Amino acid sequence: MFDNLPILSILCYVPLFGAIPILWMKDPALIRKYATGVVMLDFLLSLPLWFTFDRDGALFQFVEGPFEWIPSIGVDYHFGIDGMALLLVLLTTLLGVLAFVSSWSAIHHREKEYYIFMLLLQTGMLGVFMSLDFFLFYVFWEVMLVPMYFLIGIWGGPRKLYAAIKFFLYTLAGSVLMLLGILALYFYNSTGLLGYAGLGHRPTFSVEQFHDIGASIPPDLQFWIFLGFFLSFAIKVPMFPFHTWLPDAHVEAPTAGSVILAGVLLKMGTYGFVRFSLPILPDATVQLLPWMAALSIIGIVYGALVAMAQKDMKKLVAYSSVSHLGFVMLGVFALNGPGLNGGILQMINHGISTGALFLLVGIIYERRHTRMIAEYGGLSAVMPVFATIFLIITMSSIGLPALNGFVGEFTILVGAFNRVWWWAVFAALGIVLGAAYMLWLFQRVFFGPLTNPENKNLKDLSFREIAYLAPLVLLCFWIGLYPKPFFRILERSVEHVIAKVDPSLAQDQVAGQPAPAAAAPAVGE
Amino acid sequence: MPGIDPREFLLLSPEILLSAAGLLLLLVGTIGRGFRNLEAAFVSIFSLVLTGAILVVVHSRLDWGGRLILGNTFVLDGFAFFWKMLILVATILTVLISYRFIEEGGYRATEYYSLILLATAGMMFMASGYTLLTIWIGLETMALASYILAGYFKREVRSNEAAMKYFILGAMSSGILLYGISLLYGATGTIQLESLARMLNQPAVAANILVPLGWILLAAGLFFKVAAVPFHIWTPDVYVGAPTPITAWLAVASKGASFAILVRIFFEGLWPLAVDWQWIVALVASASMIWGNLAALTQNNVKRLLAYSSIANAGYVLIGMLAVSEMGLQSILFYLLSYTFITLGAFGTVILLERREYAGETAEDYAGLSKRSPFLAAMMLLFLLALTGIPLTGGFVGKLYLFAAAIEKGWTWVAVIGVITSAISLYYYFRIVVYMYQRDSTQATPVALRSPALVAVISLCALVTLLLGIVPGPFLGMAERSLDASRLLQEQVTTRLAP
Repeated sequence: MFDNLPILSILCYVPLFGAIPILWMKDPALIRKYATGVVMLDFLLSLPLWFTFDRDGALFQFVEGPFEWIPSIGVDYHFGIDGMALLLVLLTTLLGVLAFVSSWSAIHHREKEYYIFMLLLQTGMLGVFMSLDFFLFYVFWEVMLVPMYFLIGIWGGPRKLYAAIKFFLYTLAGSVLMLLGILALYFYNSTGLLGYAGLGHRPTFSVEQFHDIGASIPPDLQFWIFLGFFLSFAIKVPMFPFHTWLPDAHVEAPTAGSVILAGVLLKMGTYGFVRFSLPILPDATVQLLPWMAALSIIGIVYGALVAMAQKDMKKLVAYSSVSHLGFVMLGVFALNGPGLNGGILQMINHGISTGALFLLVGIIYERRHTRMIAEYGGLSAVMPVFATIFLIITMSSIGLPALNGFVGEFTILVGAFNRVWWWAVFAALGIVLGAAYMLWLFQRVFFGPLTNPENKNLKDLSFREIAYLAPLVLLCFWIGLYPKPFFRILERSVEHVIAKVDPSLAQDQVAGQPAPAAAAPAVGE
Repeated sequence: MPGIDPREFLLLSPEILLSAAGLLLLLVGTIGRGFRNLEAAFVSIFSLVLTGAILVVVHSRLDWGGRLILGNTFVLDGFAFFWKMLILVATILTVLISYRFIEEGGYRATEYYSLILLATAGMMFMASGYTLLTIWIGLETMALASYILAGYFKREVRSNEAAMKYFILGAMSSGILLYGISLLYGATGTIQLESLARMLNQPAVAANILVPLGWILLAAGLFFKVAAVPFHIWTPDVYVGAPTPITAWLAVASKGASFAILVRIFFEGLWPLAVDWQWIVALVASASMIWGNLAALTQNNVKRLLAYSSIANAGYVLIGMLAVSEMGLQSILFYLLSYTFITLGAFGTVILLERREYAGETAEDYAGLSKRSPFLAAMMLLFLLALTGIPLTGGFVGKLYLFAAAIEKGWTWVAVIGVITSAISLYYYFRIVVYMYQRDSTQATPVALRSPALVAVISLCALVTLLLGIVPGPFLGMAERSLDASRLLQEQVTTRLAP
């Protein structure tokens, strides 16, 4: 049904063009509804992708282009998605709707600018996941920083100025180095650089072309390019020790900003690793594997320990993100079927559970205007529905079987175990710590006597709040109970990455099923 | 020396016309009160547009290989044409943003515009000069007029100070430049660029100690004009003290013309020494990027901030030179093209916010601008993003090209300094954004968009900035054609530098 429609471009630009009429709107209530309508439309438009995507078809589908954009240097306009990008696109459009609905009650000043920036942000994020041209990718990647800067910097908490500029500076510093890496690839593909004879291909920024030449790039050049990419993606993920912007940004951002930030923005970093670093720079990936794994494991444990010490709920959730993203990275760098499958699925899981956690924290913050854990206690008595949903999401976050987190974490552990067994040991320690800080949080907030008088009259969730949490809860159960469709849609993407980075592993890898341990050479040792 | 065909002066008609218009205004200025502001501005714009039109006609009648006239002292090629058009456009926009400024300052208009026209004529001579002396005379014509213009607010101490500093340091740099020229002449016996290169290509001549002394002094003088570190000291004070339209004009037209001669001299006269000067250019470029961006971090005055940004940008443009490649030169043209519109737009916004000569220049004056004038705030945001080099603006494509040129030729470390300092620059550009969008205003009154001409210039600059970022193709093509139609980067240059 999409044969003739540039569906990806439509999806990507609906928010952008939808933002234009807001310039002339005056009534905040109208702007709210209209903007939510736009993202809702975008979400509905994205749903058919799930049904029409051919699981056994070409790697990239719904391809548009390449159309010439800047012919003199070979930049093309080129969109297309594989299974991984498809899931991330759906996650983006879904979380977009939820974030918009949650903003209705959270944002009360300068609403016009707020919704314009939120819509621009949607366009930027969707473009990042859809671009098949590295230049185009970079354009979306950077342009998206501007609306996010304003969302944190205008509607944020008390230290918003600091947090916003820190967020922008960190990510910009990383991405400009990635730009140099992109240029190095570009020249290597065409005319050569730095004494390396080029391959003499047509100058292009095509991602597929770079995937094809990946193996032929000399390892030392790969190393430097990898470093450039690494800084950019690692800051975005964020991996330890580049994570320090994250707690600031999360704590100060408005709820919707946090949801988008945790749910989608961080995934851009992990997506970058899987889409670019691994397939284009296989030798450097293998060479740096121990370092990557070490940073991931430190992130898992460190994030969990710091989360445990937090007094502010939002900060706790922020640090838990560092830990969870460490899991994702560990899975990705296991470089085998289960690891990559689990890693990618865990990206989605984290988007769902952490997105939901931020929404929940936002709900309680709107009622009490504090996020300090010590201010609460015994809330389950006055807010039973809230407590139930919070419990489900907590369980999902700590990886209780039958919920989504379990599937992701277990698969990652299998992958990590197959690569180097003791990676899985450390990772499992992270799970234990994760259970500790989340359950402890739940206990302190919801159980015990209802001592604080201000909490006695708290209202339980409204219909609107239940409505925007319900889809996330449903997804938690769906992925937890029946993850097969998700692994199925990722199959081709994962095979492709493995074939590029480690051809010896390309056979016998069925999604979600651990390969015999012998088949996985212990590269890290 | 071949005889001069008098008809060749016809090819000079754009320059002659502009000089005549400048002199006419000067003459009228002596009669009573001279022209009123509106009349003088009209005459200037008319003569500038006419000059541009004649320039197009003249160049359409030439074959695009580049033609040497007047005894091989003057060149008409695509490169010169590009700069002349850019300088004319920048000057027209400067006149437009000056109008309201002169009106409110209550200064005499006729001489102001006259000086601008004369300086512009000087810049056009610079773009076309083909001997070191022709270039130098063009440069002095521009510089002398600029000194007076920088001090045009004669009742303001800061304007006087700016003019004085600019004059003393400028005169000294011109002297250094001239001294370098004379040393080169002593060593090679010529000041014509083509024969200079031929002489320097002989190892015996190039070995003369006067040669390095000469070109280093020459380079120092030119680095002064483009405001590159360590010859940048004059920039902040002059930029702050000069009337803002003149600041904008110095930052774009004067800088552009100076880069034109820098590239012309180094690529046509000194290319046999490229291996030596590449290093100097690399060091000066790095120092400018680092110092310009770091010093800007602490500035609170927007004009001073833009002055340091201008120093940093001189560093970025120099990256294009040190690559000594087709891509490098293209990137210089494209970058300065986009820089011209971005900077004029940013200064235009500053002018619109200024009341009386200098009020409205500190970052605090921008507080709450997004409420007082959403239009101006959005425009300024765009210009600042472009200066930082965020995609979808001309600034990004320009920087990308510069860095690409550097990486292609192995100057990776300069490119790394370039990208890191660009990231740093975000901090001070966004200091203004913070005030515009995130601080509440001390005064609630909306900004009146007083001058339609100014608003038009700002909008035009914003439009071009976006166009350059979204569809850079045609503009890059323009830069490419201008270079193809010139004698720069002849084959022997590139083959000599091939690793």
